[in-house]
Amino acid sequence: MGGNGDNNDGKAFQNGGQSVINCQSSGMRGNPFFAPAWDPVVSMSQHENFGGSSMVSQSEFTNSPYPVVMENQGNSTTSHLVHYPSDSSYAELMPKFPSYGSGSFSEMVCSFGLTECSQIANTGCHLNYSSNKEANVERTITNCVESQEDRQLTEEPIIGATPDGKRRKRVAESNSPFDPNKNAEGELQKDPSGHSSEVQKEQDEKKPRTEQNTAANLRGKQAAKQAKDNSHSGEAPNENYIHVRARRGQATNSHSLAERVRREKISERMRLLQELVPGCNKITGKAVMLDEIINYVQSLQQQVEFLSMKLATVNPELSHDIERILSKDILHSRGSNAALMGFSPGMNAHPYSHGIFPANIPIIPNTNPQFPPVPHAALDHDLQSLFQMGFDSSSAIDSLGANGRLKPEL
Amino acid sequence: MTSVHPNSTTTTRFARRFLISLSRMRRPITLGPPSDEEVCRRTRRIKLAAYSSMARAVGSRRAWSRALLLKVRNRVRFQGILRNRFLASKKKRVIKRNKASGEMNKTDMLRKLVPGGETMDICGLLEETAHYMASLATQVKVMQSIVDQYSK
Repeated sequence: MGGNGDNNDGKAFQNGGQSVINCQSSGMRGNPFFAPAWDPVVSMSQHENFGGSSMVSQSEFTNSPYPVVMENQGNSTTSHLVHYPSDSSYAELMPKFPSYGSGSFSEMVCSFGLTECSQIANTGCHLNYSSNKEANVERTITNCVESQEDRQLTEEPIIGATPDGKRRKRVAESNSPFDPNKNAEGELQKDPSGHSSEVQKEQDEKKPRTEQNTAANLRGKQAAKQAKDNSHSGEAPNENYIHVRARRGQATNSHSLAERVRREKISERMRLLQELVPGCNKITGKAVMLDEIINYVQSLQQQVEFLSMKLATVNPELSHDIERILSKDILHSRGSNAALMGFSPGMNAHPYSHGIFPANIPIIPNTNPQFPPVPHAALDHDLQSLFQMGFDSSSAIDSLGANGRLKPEL
Repeated sequence: MTSVHPNSTTTTRFARRFLISLSRMRRPITLGPPSDEEVCRRTRRIKLAAYSSMARAVGSRRAWSRALLLKVRNRVRFQGILRNRFLASKKKRVIKRNKASGEMNKTDMLRKLVPGGETMDICGLLEETAHYMASLATQVKVMQSIVDQYSK
């Protein structure tokens, strides 16, 4: 259980090994040719190493991206290699360029040093190939790689990204207007083919490209959901800004977009919490869920308090080696949980264990003769009354003589 | 004090720290059964030790662990006299903003429960709550098994 905290940080690196396998199994075949435009995109992001060379090459980015791509690779090869850990796969990427037309873009992108970004890259690159607009495609690739770069920079784990649509999302650092200089540079050079006006609009108001959206984004709502899945589970503080597309039939006001992003973030967190709190699978609605969360946290804190009281009364035979206790601890933790489940006379049962919430909240601590005798009779009575009154936390805690406080005394 | 072993999880780190701090709190058996007041005092100390062991085992990655350690440090050293001024002012601003609704809603209750929750927005608060809940569950599990050990 304690590994939960570790998992979030370690997951990013675990996905790296799977990147190539994931990409190739995702089956992007028969794709039209489009250039991996990560150079200009990267220049847009906070990655300062990809500054000059990528921007210059982007000016030639019109209808023949392929030679430009080669040039990009040549210019910024070293910097790419610096930042993509799988250098060897980059080397094998190079010969794949001639076979580009056969739809090996996925392999290229994926073998191009994707670590934890692999799934995001897949998602971004799984464009609507029915769309014929190359600008669309370019932009989406840039978006795809933008997100890829962000992921690499921030090293956050990916929530399972499923391929579809042209959505990708990055989080606004502070919901304030962007730095216009940075955006102008990146956006304009990303779209030399005449969409600069739109780009200006987007960078000013976060307005989505609705005409392309409705025309090309056939599965709008699904794509929105997947874009949401693409976003980080936890936002790193050094992310840039959000690109959000309005779904079909939704308002495209910048404020409502920002609100929607925020709501989606909040609901995502609530879902995470729903998994953590036992017995809350069927609850829909934030208010009830918040109630449950609060109850659960309070009960956990009360349990800590109660256990520390028990530890205070138990006179520990500390002749035991700490290591021995520790090893026994870890080994016995599973076994003791199982015993607790059956309300064995040995110990208190965890009220929230294994989904028997909320029926078993009251613990009867003093029915067990094996317990170390709590010295004061009144204390016993208080404890009993606490637990027999059920989970009425405020009044019950007040009746508890010694530490009558709702919040742990910190 | 932190023995860095391979495969050390938060659980083992917390358990180790907590056991070490428990061993420091032993009292001589010859004194007989502890009085009520002593039990209360020990309870508070053990509880504090449990929370700070957990926060230290988690590290500074999380806002709640940082806030908890700060609180413990302020409490232990300065008895609440010296406070982090920036946090206090920010806290006041945030509380004023949150209390604009008038009554105390669930979010405020959650803020009180999670250490460091006063100065966070809803999004960060929910995330910290999730992590805090997981750590609390670990804490309860470990403490429970320690109590099991001692009463066998």
